[in-house]
Amino acid sequence: MSANQLRLCHRDDIPEGAARGFLPLPDAPRNVIVVNRGGQLHAYMDSCPHYRGGTPMAWRKDAYLDSEGAHLACHAHGALFDIETGACVSGPCLGRKLTRVPLSEAPDGSISVPAQVAGRAARES
Amino acid sequence: MRIIGPDYLVFGVDDLEGSKTYLEDFGLKPVQLDDTGWLYEALDGTGVIIRPKADPKLPAPLETKNMLRQQIYGVEDASVLNEIEAEMSKDRRVTRLSDGGIEFKDDLGFELRFQVTIRRELSMPAEKINAPGAPAQRAPNELGVTDDMAALPRSLSHVVLFVPDMDKVVSFFCDRLGFVVTDVLTGAGPFLRPQANDDHHTHFFIRTPAYMQGCEHLAFHMGGPTELMVAGDRFVRKGYQSFWGPGRHKFGSNWFWYFNSPLGVHFEYDADMDKHDDSWVAREAPNGPEASQIFLLQWREKWAPSGGPEGGSGA
Repeated sequence: MSANQLRLCHRDDIPEGAARGFLPLPDAPRNVIVVNRGGQLHAYMDSCPHYRGGTPMAWRKDAYLDSEGAHLACHAHGALFDIETGACVSGPCLGRKLTRVPLSEAPDGSISVPAQVAGRAARES
Repeated sequence: MRIIGPDYLVFGVDDLEGSKTYLEDFGLKPVQLDDTGWLYEALDGTGVIIRPKADPKLPAPLETKNMLRQQIYGVEDASVLNEIEAEMSKDRRVTRLSDGGIEFKDDLGFELRFQVTIRRELSMPAEKINAPGAPAQRAPNELGVTDDMAALPRSLSHVVLFVPDMDKVVSFFCDRLGFVVTDVLTGAGPFLRPQANDDHHTHFFIRTPAYMQGCEHLAFHMGGPTELMVAGDRFVRKGYQSFWGPGRHKFGSNWFWYFNSPLGVHFEYDADMDKHDDSWVAREAPNGPEASQIFLLQWREKWAPSGGPEGGSGA
């Protein structure tokens, strides 16, 4: 892991079909959501685009998916997002997208994100 | 028309087990209604009814994905139901139920039911405070806080709806059901109270595009600001996601703390709301952070100043 990367987790921490939220630094303002769809990991800021500045999406720790695991869901107002693209497919932020976060995977399976992600929500708000 | 306010809000939920856990952890008491329905009630018997979203016992869903399926309002007595039935029958179908309640749709397609209220009268003290210059509210040796103090929702306070046509919904509630506007946040919408309730609001409407129509949040009254803070703190510690608060609104003066929920709406603890009578003249302010609250705070882990500088123990 290079100096400008922050480790979030190990690949095996996100089972197939699951999503989890990780703070990139202990005092970061927003989680990064990592979701495993068909063995492929996708990551987005935990920040629903419905309101300016974004708002946290889970209803309980790591509760980022709808009950079928088909979509990422914002439990503020029920928006649903495509897991592969982050696009809102239903709900109050139709036409907007989640902010995608690029993931790096080390040979040992460590998953990390660019360090600037830790300050991201602070700059947006 | 002597309407009191919401008795129950009914949801068809996506995640039944998650919703059950959430509502119980929020502080509501589960009552199983039948094979597929549960009521989660506050201390006075008002509350939230949930069923799986495909349950045929539910009224038809909104065209949006919002999970709200019906608003059930309590009125003072059966004569009020007759009055509402006579008024609504002028231009829509009203269904009279076997228990005497009536059902119909409002002008925006929300499903409504009115019934003689099921609210149980509460007899509990409000939060008591002591202050110089005023008689002490707590007796000598009576403590203000304890680790195990109760902090349970007392009553379903209000519902907030996203509405695509503000004029239609306001004229429906005011001209047809006798609600009055208590204050207006310009750019968002009005606060309303019905005739048989002196709370600042049982309703707030927010203007939105049609694809958002539904419930934005619902709120339960707590016994005071300390109960609100204690309940919210406990809820955060169980892993639930704060959305806004704690803080105190300007219009209504109520303390607030909002949380995300698996019902796709916010659940709010509120406390110490203003009361009004018919002599009140509605205020108006532009919607935004300034008008929305007198102050806004954010939860953090418990912390205490301890230890000297430079790592000294300082105890």
